Amino acid sequence: MKNLIIDAIPDSPYYPGVNFDAATGICEMTGESYMEEAYKFYAPLLNWLKEYSLQEGNDVTFSIKLTYFNTNSSRLLLDMFDILKKSKDAGHQVQINWYFETDDPDIKDEIEDFEIETGLKIKLIPVE
Amino acid sequence: MLDTNFSNSIICYHGPINIDLISFFSNFLKQHLKANTIVVGRIYKVLIELIQNVSYYSVDQFNIERKFGSGIGWFRLDEEEKIFKITTGNKILKEHGPVLQKNSNEINSLDEESLRELKRKTRSQANKRDIGAHIGLIQTGLITGNSLDLEIEPIDTIYSYFIITAKVNKS
Repeated sequence: MKNLIIDAIPDSPYYPGVNFDAATGICEMTGESYMEEAYKFYAPLLNWLKEYSLQEGNDVTFSIKLTYFNTNSSRLLLDMFDILKKSKDAGHQVQINWYFETDDPDIKDEIEDFEIETGLKIKLIPVE
Repeated sequence: MLDTNFSNSIICYHGPINIDLISFFSNFLKQHLKANTIVVGRIYKVLIELIQNVSYYSVDQFNIERKFGSGIGWFRLDEEEKIFKITTGNKILKEHGPVLQKNSNEINSLDEESLRELKRKTRSQANKRDIGAHIGLIQTGLITGNSLDLEIEPIDTIYSYFIITAKVNKS
């Protein structure tokens, strides 16, 4: 299975950078996410994650380093977490790390809402 | 309609709105607005949510072939003594007015925990191709902690004008 890499583009900061590594299972999203028609951007990410995470022996470390995401993107992030929940329920190791800026007072509630909705535990990692 | 008193206005724009314009204005304000980091961050988030609603759902579109993300409308950011006010305006179908009013009344009536619960419910049930304007308004209510102010003015038998104001506290 190939890696999924989408480089962040400074002129289009509404697209996040994506680096899903098939060799290590480390999947990372960086930057911001508030593009138009978010489902089109997220479709290949969801497909990759579904294919990779449900294969025997494939564990996932999912690292989110998004400094902003709009509600449209949050709907798609929820779909990603649902895939990871299925993978975890199937017996795979799933670790989700969320790197958050300490000057964002609202992000912890957002992450907690994802935990409530998915039943997954998300590790909070503060970034100064 | 658009209040033409600009004495407290930091920025005001009327015209076609696409994602590049939203990104430009929101990042410009993020870099140059004189307020503390938390307040600037909240204005940034609210601005994007509300302007994207204009871009997506205004019935006036500047690129009819795209059908999405090319709405015409306006937005402004005003500074008052204790708050920043983010206001947007756009034309809507008259039949959508009562729904927007009902949704906003519900958002304004709920405490934070109930609003979070409504957000989770709305998000999980939303169509991923178009999650609708409702969740953006819920998120705006959550971020600001203040009520949303709505004005819906009939234009004719088919259209109304929709204006929404969100208020971000300075402290």
